[in-house]
Amino acid sequence: MDCYTANWNPLGDSAFYRKYELYSMDWDLKEELRDCLVAAAPYGGPIALLRNPWRKEKAASVRPVLEIYSASGMPLASLLWKSGPVVSLGWSAEEELLCVQEDGVVLVYGLHGDFRRHFSMGNEVLQNRVLDARIFHTEFGSGVAILTGAHRFTLSANVGDLKLRRMPEVPGLQSAPSCWTTLCQDRVAHILLAVGPDLYLLDHAACSSVTPPGLAPGVSSFLQMAVSFTYRHLALFTDTGYIWMGTASLKEKLCEFNCNIRAPPKQMVWCSRPRSKERAVVVAWERRLMVVGDAPESIQFVLDEDSYLVPELDGVRIFSRSTHEFLHEVPVASEEIFKIASMAPGALLLEAQKEYEKESQKADEYLREIQELGQLTQAVQQCIEAAGHEHRPDMQKSLLRAASFGKCFLDRFPPDSFVRMCQDLRVLNAVRDYHIGIPLTYSHRYKQLTIQVLLDRLVLRRLYPLAIQICEYLRLPEVQGVSRILAHWACYKVQQKDVSDEDVARAINQKLGDTPGVSYSDIAARAYGCGRTELAIKLLEYEPRSGEQVPLLLKMKRSKLALSKAIESGDTDLVFTVLLHLKNELNRGDFFMTLRNQPMALSLYRQFCKYQELETLKDLYNQDDNHQELGSFHIRASYAAEERIEGRVAALQTAADAFYKAKNEFAAKATEDQMRLLRLQRRLEDELGGRFLDLSLHDTVTTLILGGHNKRAEQLARDFRIPDKRLWWLKLTALADLEDWEELEKFSKSKKSPIGYLPFVEICMKQHNKYEAKKYTSRVGPEQKVKALLLVGDVAQAADVAIEHRNEAELSLVLSHCTGATDGATADKIQRARAQAQKK
Amino acid sequence: MAFPHRPDAPELPDFSMLKRLARDQLIYLLEQLPGKKDLFIEADLMSPLDRIANVSILKQHEVDKLYKVESKPAVSSSEQLCFLVRPRIKNMRYIANLVNADKLAGRTRKYKVIFSPQKFYACEMVLEEEGIYGDVSCDEWAFSLLPLDVDLLSMELPEFFRDYFLEGDQRWINTVAQALHLLSTLYGPFPNCYGIGRCAKMSYELWRKLEDEEDGETKGRRPEIGHIFLLDRDMDFVTALCSQVVYEGLVDDTFRIKCGSVDFGPEVTSSDKSLKVLLNAEDKNGRALLLCCRYTGEAGRYKLQFCVRRRGMDIKQMKNFVSQELKGLKQEHRLLSLHIGACESIMKKKTKQDFQELIKTEHALLEGFNIRESTSYIEEHIDRQVSPIESLRLMCLLSITENGLIPKDYRSLKTQYLQSYGPEHLLTFSNLRRAGLLTEQAPGDTLTAVESKVSKLVTDKAAGKITDAFSSLAKRSNFRAISKKLNLIPRVDGEYDLKVPRDMAYVFSGAYVPLSCRIIEQVLERRSWQGLDEVVRLLNCSELAFTDMTKEDKASSESLRLILVVFLGGCTFSEISALRFLGREKGYRFIFLTTAVTNSARLMEAMSEVKA
Repeated sequence: MDCYTANWNPLGDSAFYRKYELYSMDWDLKEELRDCLVAAAPYGGPIALLRNPWRKEKAASVRPVLEIYSASGMPLASLLWKSGPVVSLGWSAEEELLCVQEDGVVLVYGLHGDFRRHFSMGNEVLQNRVLDARIFHTEFGSGVAILTGAHRFTLSANVGDLKLRRMPEVPGLQSAPSCWTTLCQDRVAHILLAVGPDLYLLDHAACSSVTPPGLAPGVSSFLQMAVSFTYRHLALFTDTGYIWMGTASLKEKLCEFNCNIRAPPKQMVWCSRPRSKERAVVVAWERRLMVVGDAPESIQFVLDEDSYLVPELDGVRIFSRSTHEFLHEVPVASEEIFKIASMAPGALLLEAQKEYEKESQKADEYLREIQELGQLTQAVQQCIEAAGHEHRPDMQKSLLRAASFGKCFLDRFPPDSFVRMCQDLRVLNAVRDYHIGIPLTYSHRYKQLTIQVLLDRLVLRRLYPLAIQICEYLRLPEVQGVSRILAHWACYKVQQKDVSDEDVARAINQKLGDTPGVSYSDIAARAYGCGRTELAIKLLEYEPRSGEQVPLLLKMKRSKLALSKAIESGDTDLVFTVLLHLKNELNRGDFFMTLRNQPMALSLYRQFCKYQELETLKDLYNQDDNHQELGSFHIRASYAAEERIEGRVAALQTAADAFYKAKNEFAAKATEDQMRLLRLQRRLEDELGGRFLDLSLHDTVTTLILGGHNKRAEQLARDFRIPDKRLWWLKLTALADLEDWEELEKFSKSKKSPIGYLPFVEICMKQHNKYEAKKYTSRVGPEQKVKALLLVGDVAQAADVAIEHRNEAELSLVLSHCTGATDGATADKIQRARAQAQKK
Repeated sequence: MAFPHRPDAPELPDFSMLKRLARDQLIYLLEQLPGKKDLFIEADLMSPLDRIANVSILKQHEVDKLYKVESKPAVSSSEQLCFLVRPRIKNMRYIANLVNADKLAGRTRKYKVIFSPQKFYACEMVLEEEGIYGDVSCDEWAFSLLPLDVDLLSMELPEFFRDYFLEGDQRWINTVAQALHLLSTLYGPFPNCYGIGRCAKMSYELWRKLEDEEDGETKGRRPEIGHIFLLDRDMDFVTALCSQVVYEGLVDDTFRIKCGSVDFGPEVTSSDKSLKVLLNAEDKNGRALLLCCRYTGEAGRYKLQFCVRRRGMDIKQMKNFVSQELKGLKQEHRLLSLHIGACESIMKKKTKQDFQELIKTEHALLEGFNIRESTSYIEEHIDRQVSPIESLRLMCLLSITENGLIPKDYRSLKTQYLQSYGPEHLLTFSNLRRAGLLTEQAPGDTLTAVESKVSKLVTDKAAGKITDAFSSLAKRSNFRAISKKLNLIPRVDGEYDLKVPRDMAYVFSGAYVPLSCRIIEQVLERRSWQGLDEVVRLLNCSELAFTDMTKEDKASSESLRLILVVFLGGCTFSEISALRFLGREKGYRFIFLTTAVTNSARLMEAMSEVKA
């Protein structure tokens, strides 16, 4: 145990700091770190190096090499830098490398050195060149801040959604500030800069001068400033070798320290953790590393070689040519357990377990001691927690073993925390592995990064098998876990240009099968993005939802295929989308031809045209030689679109022609009749006045009769060959409506009625004229006589006729009309007749 | 009386949940536009909306004034306008005009368009073309199922019929699939599925796709509804075209039931006001009353036409009889007298037009005798100018039962009709022909031997040439053959006693078993289409009949006796009554899902072209 705390260094009374090795780096660095631009991503991310030939005075004869390594020094990518001079490198939150060029262009590379995109920081930057640049992280993503040659700042808070902001001018600024940094407060990015003894805070609107409270006097310049990982704290290093530490809002001072070194430090970063006891700043010079905090003494380390500091959420990573170390404040749980002569329950439990393994009775003593204090639960929790903070698996194991030992003596200790810790540590140890090289600490990964992001990072490193294993090990739901990773794998797979389309498609389908949550269309979209259209189409074939295939097919200009897929999907909206696409893409003729082979799309488009583009509808029918519909179209136009009579007749004429072409003689004739009728109605209106237009033939004739123009009516009926029967009905009704009984009688006698005389009776009765009705009953044919008599209410006579006819149905009918007392006699008569008929 | 259910009949699921869901969603959408707003409602949505959320609920959510979306522009002073519309291009134009007028006047307001039951891309397109896409916010009110009765769900989409069966527009199929999906998420999966018809098949497949995409949710749930049966309206036009004689059918034919309620005019209420009466069986008292009325009504024509006269029981006695049964229930008495008023009014109308003659002709057409006589009856019907819609209906009935009209009649009837009611009906006839409702017999078509060959030839030719998916050329109704095969015309010895119905034919006074209901009965009996191959062929649906059963049998016996019947294109009250009867006989309970409740007049109107 003594040796275990050997690397612990106390800072003040309360906190210890320890530095331990993460990896011994076997990267084969050709250059010294100090000659390179260095960028290391937080959260144990990759390291990028670019030998900086531009800083040296002599012109670059060889092009520099951009190299990317994992945190353990495994080479990930190496490429010849062919673009312009780079001022600064930095990693975005998505682990993309941002290279800020002198001309303000930012080039974005992937983890594997693949070029992604580039963007410019604006004209002003281009003109004045970039003097200095910082990549910083905010809630929204990663931002870039640039100091131009004109000593102005331009920044973008999120490179994913590029919005450039030019910060206000600092009054009287003639030379570059001695140091500056970005601050993030209330979701807004500010810039803090030091010019001589003055500090200025720049926000979007204004530049304000600020003074840190309690700053020691005699400062003539600030050499270095550092803002903490969470933007909460700020440290300032002055030319007097004095360090001021306080809140980033510059409202409160935490502590100060005087190191008496006046040389400007190479780097200064905060080393703290959320809720840490002590807040400290790590300052690095060429060969010296100093941890200072609220204590009279500092911790000093000697640096053997060129080192680089990477601030993390809970400590500082320090890497050099040969090693990669982690410096952090010892967490409370570890401190309690491992502090020399600690009597904390966790420490006792660990001791008890060790004795137990040695089969010593001391184990029992220790255990009793804890139990007597009633702190066993606490002890177990402490051990579990401390295990999480250990880097070495053997220490993790011994702590977990102690926890599990202590658990045995507890009833109902909820097992989740133990189980989860074991799982998490397994995952953590796996990703910390030298080959993977993601040195995450427990609080990093567990509290901050989340497993989803960790998986994303593994995917980004193309470590698909490990990612899948982790998913399976943690039993993540398929959709979030395995299938997502498989989909990523497939997206990577389609980029392998040396493999044939066929093989790639087959390989992907074999692995992915019908895994739920995998979208083949997304993979196909990626394939198309790589310029492999054929592969994309092959992959789309595996997509079970045809609706998903459509947008990509459209993008790939396979509109006709898209149309049939859209139709297959049954989603009319999708069909419509494709249709409009086609309409713009093809010329009209081709568009119509395409429609012609797709009835579903055609009817959809027709429906749309009916309301929006009537002319197109006509063209559609024309194209199809669909004369029948064309005829109908013109008929509709004749009464809906045209106002003038000439226009209407013309529309009808076109319709009639179309009907002839469609071999629909009937419709053609009917249309011609209508033309004739229209003209005639027009003439009638001119000659007789009144309204005739738009009446049907029937109504026209009726109107004529009602107006007393019998001659004309008959002429019209003859012209249009109205059948006799109908004409009789028509006249009969019209005359009865006029109550022109005389004319009606004359009409009835004009010749033998083709509709019989029962209608006469009916119509008269409708006008409640029993007298007139009776006139016609005698002329009604025998088979309808009973009905006629019943209509006029002559039940008795009806009964007589029915009896005479010996017709059972008629007898029943009459009987049903017999009501109450008045027809009693008649009813009896019928009953008698019936009885008689039955006898026979 | 009114035929109680068998004691072992399963309980119906509670569909009031659908209403609550719709209401909550609507309120949520209204709240999205905080503050006072004026609401513009499409006329067709007014009645359904009324069943979901009444005016006071709307007012609670800061709806200030209500307007109807119609042709003339409304003057609203509110700063926020909300439109509740069906996704139709016409409505988009209306909104665009309003917004553009505001723009011209330099006025800025907030506009929100709520599409029910869903929005269509075409609508957004129109908004874009009119240049107001950026000015309005669009939302969907996924209200697609309105429970009209305990066992009747309506989508209230009457346009489905014309859009699909005439125009071949499949946009609503997605809506149907969504509705089925909603039902299956609420009431568990349907273990047994049957269906017939192109639309049925498409809806079913689309719905299945939806289920597959969102799997995991319904899986493992116990099904509440054991069977689902999807049926296209064009499988059976005949039933829909017949005059209805069941009570609700009569009321629907005479007064038009709208969204489950009916407006009784002054002639019924015997006052000068008209009254709106809810025609459903939601509350218990109402149910008793309705059953009673159904009894008086369902005994139908018998009671209304003859019984009253022949048996000497007149309306007055009937009034006594019914009021005695419900003595002491004043409120119901009032309602009841309304219904009796309705009966009287129906009777008046039916006797005036010689209802008996009409029914006789219809029965003759169904049975296929005296075709000549029926044809001249129809001719006379036109000559007398009785009613354009009725005449059209009879012509269609004649055509379907006879596999098309003979050319001479086809021509002369059309001429008579055109001369009587105007030339625009040339388009109506073209529509009817396209939908297969009114067609001409091809020469030589009557010869049965050649029949199949000819139709086959036509189809082959059609495949290459005809672009229209709904070409009716190859479609033949084959009604007579189907009728024989399925025994739709029952042999009746003596008089059919409507008080003791024997089969489903009672809904047509014993003359005809509704084809749609018979198909459902047969398939349910066999649990598949097996043995019905010939019928399916005659229905021109060889590829369009399907059965799908899940292997695992988690369904309880109770749920297996619950059957959801989906009518695509509408169903009539007669069909509902017939299946209710079948359910009582066999111990099933049927649940009806229809795109809209329809009747013959509605079908004809959907096909008619009217001058604007």
